Amino acid sequence: MRFAVDTGGTFTDLLVEHDDGRLTMHKAATTPQDPIAGVIDSLAKAAEAEGVSLGDLLAQGDLFIHGTTRAINAIVTGATARTAFLTTRGHPDILVLREGGRKDVFDFTVPFPEPYVPRSLTWEADERIMADGSVRRALDEAALVGALGEMKAAKVEAVAVCLLWSIVNPAHELRIGELIEAHLPGVPYTLSHAVNPSLREYRRASSTAIDASLKPLMSAYMGDLTARLRAAGYAGRVLIVTSNAGVIDASEAARAPIHLINSGPAMAPVAGRHFAEADAAAETAIVADTGGTTYDLSVVRRGGIPLTRETWIGGAYRGHMTGFPSVDVRSIGAGGGSIAWVDAGGLLRVGPQSAAAEPGPAAYGRGGEEPTVTDACVALGWLDPDFFLGGAMKLRADLSRAAIEARLCGPLGLSVEDAALAVIRVATENMVQAILDITVNQGIDPREAVLIGGGGAAGLNSERIAARLGCPTLLIPDVGAALSAAGALMSELVFECRAALFAQSGAFDSAAVNAVLDGLRARCEAFIAEAGEEAVESRIAFGAEARYPHQVWEIDLPLRAGAFAGEADIRAMVADFHAAHDEIFAISDPESEIEVVSWTARASCRLREGKLPSLGVAAGSAAAPVSRRRAYFERVGWVEAEARRFEALPAGAEFAGPALVESSFTTVVVGPGATYRRTASGGLSINPAKGA
Amino acid sequence: MTARTGALDGVELALLISRVEGVARKMANTLLRTGRSGVLNIARDFSCCIITADDRLLATAESLPIHVLSGPDMMAASVREHHPVLARGDAFLHNSPYHGCSHPADHTLLVPVIDDAGVHRFTVVAKAHQADCGNSEPTTYMGAARDVYHEGALIFPGVRVQKDYRDVEDIIRMCMLRIRVPEQWWGDYLAMLGAARIGERELLALGAEIGWERLGDFTETWFDYSEARMRAALSALPSGRGSWTSTHDAVPGTPEAGVPINVTVEVDAAAERIAVDLTDNMDALPCGLNLSEACARTSAMIGVFNSIDPTVPKNAGAFRRIDIRLKENSVCGVPRHPTSCSVATTNIADRVANSVQAALAEMKDGIGMAETGAILPASIGVVSGYDPEKGEPYVNQLFLAFTGGSAGPHADAWITLGHVGNAGLCYQDSIELDELRQPLLVETRRFLTDSEGAGRTKGGAGMLVEFGPTRGDMAVAFVSDGTYNPAKGVRGGGLGGAAYQAIRRKDGAVEPTPNCAVVTLATGETIISHCCGGGGYGRPEERAPERVARDVREGWVSPDRARDVYRVALDGAGAVDAAETARLRGAAG
Repeated sequence: MRFAVDTGGTFTDLLVEHDDGRLTMHKAATTPQDPIAGVIDSLAKAAEAEGVSLGDLLAQGDLFIHGTTRAINAIVTGATARTAFLTTRGHPDILVLREGGRKDVFDFTVPFPEPYVPRSLTWEADERIMADGSVRRALDEAALVGALGEMKAAKVEAVAVCLLWSIVNPAHELRIGELIEAHLPGVPYTLSHAVNPSLREYRRASSTAIDASLKPLMSAYMGDLTARLRAAGYAGRVLIVTSNAGVIDASEAARAPIHLINSGPAMAPVAGRHFAEADAAAETAIVADTGGTTYDLSVVRRGGIPLTRETWIGGAYRGHMTGFPSVDVRSIGAGGGSIAWVDAGGLLRVGPQSAAAEPGPAAYGRGGEEPTVTDACVALGWLDPDFFLGGAMKLRADLSRAAIEARLCGPLGLSVEDAALAVIRVATENMVQAILDITVNQGIDPREAVLIGGGGAAGLNSERIAARLGCPTLLIPDVGAALSAAGALMSELVFECRAALFAQSGAFDSAAVNAVLDGLRARCEAFIAEAGEEAVESRIAFGAEARYPHQVWEIDLPLRAGAFAGEADIRAMVADFHAAHDEIFAISDPESEIEVVSWTARASCRLREGKLPSLGVAAGSAAAPVSRRRAYFERVGWVEAEARRFEALPAGAEFAGPALVESSFTTVVVGPGATYRRTASGGLSINPAKGA
Repeated sequence: MTARTGALDGVELALLISRVEGVARKMANTLLRTGRSGVLNIARDFSCCIITADDRLLATAESLPIHVLSGPDMMAASVREHHPVLARGDAFLHNSPYHGCSHPADHTLLVPVIDDAGVHRFTVVAKAHQADCGNSEPTTYMGAARDVYHEGALIFPGVRVQKDYRDVEDIIRMCMLRIRVPEQWWGDYLAMLGAARIGERELLALGAEIGWERLGDFTETWFDYSEARMRAALSALPSGRGSWTSTHDAVPGTPEAGVPINVTVEVDAAAERIAVDLTDNMDALPCGLNLSEACARTSAMIGVFNSIDPTVPKNAGAFRRIDIRLKENSVCGVPRHPTSCSVATTNIADRVANSVQAALAEMKDGIGMAETGAILPASIGVVSGYDPEKGEPYVNQLFLAFTGGSAGPHADAWITLGHVGNAGLCYQDSIELDELRQPLLVETRRFLTDSEGAGRTKGGAGMLVEFGPTRGDMAVAFVSDGTYNPAKGVRGGGLGGAAYQAIRRKDGAVEPTPNCAVVTLATGETIISHCCGGGGYGRPEERAPERVARDVREGWVSPDRARDVYRVALDGAGAVDAAETARLRGAAG
């Protein structure tokens, strides 16, 4: 039996894959003060549903896979360790200066961001290594020991070490590591060349500082999680979701917690890739996870999940760059709670303000007076006030209408229904623009991609988004309300490593490159050897971070093999680069040579045979009774729309909108002109209306 | 909203502006990620925008302010004037400061968007600062240029560079022969072209979907909306006149006392209008500092938009409420050919923008801003030389440090603002990347204590950078304003740190250099460069004592300065000594 638990902001989602082939979904409230309690609660709900004790349920488990926002929350709330930053003499302000950059250029009310480690906890090591790895100034060990003494006096709880060019020659960082162990015994530390051997000192320093600052906390969390699962009766393996769409053992996660920054959202595209292939035979997908306050976007490009090195905690230029490859997940502040308002010039806007969970949309009846996207859906009859979240909560349609009437109808000169529709249109356009941003940057044409809607609120306007983008198909998986947990069940054990070696295709030193690739292969093979019996198949993929000369941003280029045998192999890499550049940017320069900045390898071990089962609700029959509900749609106005239960839909049969398809976790709105059917995997496949 | 025939409602308007701005953003994303020169993809020294068929700025991607507010509109007009018949597939190369371009290094591609009926609907513009533009010296900021001939840049006053979507090879060959590092230029040309063509394609699709008439209704409604927002913002300002003078340091070709820039701002809150008068200024100078008309107009607008509600859209609708008075043949007006405008986007332009925002600050507490630090210090100089190891020449602009952010009424400075016309968009270089790209070593890059403009809110600190070549000689070119005239504070705020430059010889001797120079360093020598700090806003004695204590703890401000300037006393542990502080501040008051 396998468990996948994703701790989100509001809910802790659990999927259980039973030994008899069933899949079940359970949700518990997230408990921010002690997130592990929410994890245990979700397991207890599963036990209750199965009619067994928690201990009996857990005793059957062999894999527990967990996505957690613990690391990112600690950073956002300032709960990380008191961390020292140690760097090369003359360069103490790496974390203050960052890489520059700013947005909203005319807005001077935003203060300059504080560095991840304050200047008062920054020390300089007297040493300097050059770009070619030669030592210009040897490490002054006596002075360094003095600095370590100052750190001790400053009650430092972790140390981040990032020296210039340590990626080419790590000798000084390694020696400093030894000195820390000798003079600050027990204080965790991170060396930049070890955690993130990549060019550009700010990104590497930022990775290093974040990693060190998380070590005390995450090591405690992993220990606590494992101990409490063991105490409750679980004896299997504990795996943690990483930012690069893989999983690692909890003990490993405690040693390098930087990998957990995007734990959770990184799994949505893994699930999206699965459903795109299974239900639409598609290799390219846009994966949208809709929560109450954020809209998380990721993509699948030709079967691969693109990574980005530009992941920010706290927003671009105003937060901290993780400096680490991570699944390219982008969030915008948009969701059911987004507030609709009319600005001073009469323009309708939706968000970025959110009614959040408290007071929530007006319809919650908790004092919210501002109309939200959820209120618009209620006013349009799309959400059933008596069956929200499977009837778990009653909504007040009168309050939704009143809020729209009070705040929107007057300034817009529209009826309540048309104002509500306008809110949906603007919210949809905001989401569409966010999708266009990520797809243009990843070289994807939305008209050739499947849109995957996950999250509880995905069904409300995903059909409109797909129509606007020209996506041929929208899929709402049956496990869409727990998309990340579903991805976790399909994930692989992943180990990634990289080495910096500058190479030019015109003057290529195959021997040097092959030596670097051999080193990476050996590390991957060592990882695979220890992967454990759950690993049913393993493979190693090599890559190059390459660019045209004078470009400064590299692209990740998959290599055909882990060695270069001759000129033909080099030419093949160059040709692949031109093609990749053309795919992403729509231009290439076929006459140009290329440069490689660093080399990567990724070992992955598949943990499952066979596909993910569906939630296994018995398919209904076409004869199942169909109820009707009054709902309002663009161009057609009020209609008696068909309201169907997800589980009552027979597989394969095609139905036409307008319709409202409901489950206990979500409502899917299918507009006029669109068609829908239940897929083999139990989800919903929708062909959007044309020309919306 | 003003009723207009065919006007859109607030819903349609929201939807369409989102889509049109999305087109501009898509252009910019494409350009950023495909450009080849460091100036483009490190410094983000580029812009993309959409102009109406009658040459009004409609929408921009977030871009350097000095690039885009005014100029693209004038360039589009000059293309129409020189080419009365525009056809689909045309593209025009433009960098003439006498026809609307900012300065000759800003190569611009303009593509007319022609609908299926052959009607010109929009012009899309992609502009990018080039690593080189063929000047007589290896720098794109030639402060000492006596005129455009001495400057030497190839000037393209809106020249057709593509016809039927194919390059006009004659033009390409000229550029490849006269521009240093031609392959970088070629890469950036391809990137600009890609961006402009994407903009063209998207607008054609939008017009086909929405209908061109409806899109025309949209643009007029959007201009009206933007004007209404601008009127509301201006009505919140105090009526009155304010003047400010900001003096650019003397460099070769200027008077010995430097170049004072005199600005008068006049606000009529009742009429909801603002005027900026730049006419009280000296004639154009025999140097490269003179402003193009685009930069004169734009720098005045930057000072205005930095001082009001930041959410007012920046387009031709909002611009209707701004009157800018310029003089022919002025150092900050309308230049006459062959006046050189080589450095038009930075130095004097910054003095204009700073003067506008400082004048507004002096009119009322809570608006305007202090002066931002000046540039171009050696820390962002253009380096060139011959790398004996790679066996090839190099030329590139470094962006090692330019900070200088000015204090505003609501917050301390955004430290890495760069300069006022850049607004912080520019990235600051990675030392490792610079050491990999050029044969150089950066010994030091650190903030300078006590270089912030003191104030109730404080200016950004300056930085110290020291670097030199590791192989062969290296030339470093810079035009370092702010050496003698550092950024001024407003409403009692203090001066930001001044610029400084010197050479450290092999024997350790430190020799100051002129502020505008091309110096040559031998291996083992270094240049020491201080970039400017920014001015403070409000009296430093009004800064919260706890914040001053924090500034001291974090090393931004020395304890002496805390006591002497901020009048805050700290105890041995660095905490505020409340009684002594009260006494100091009482005495100061």
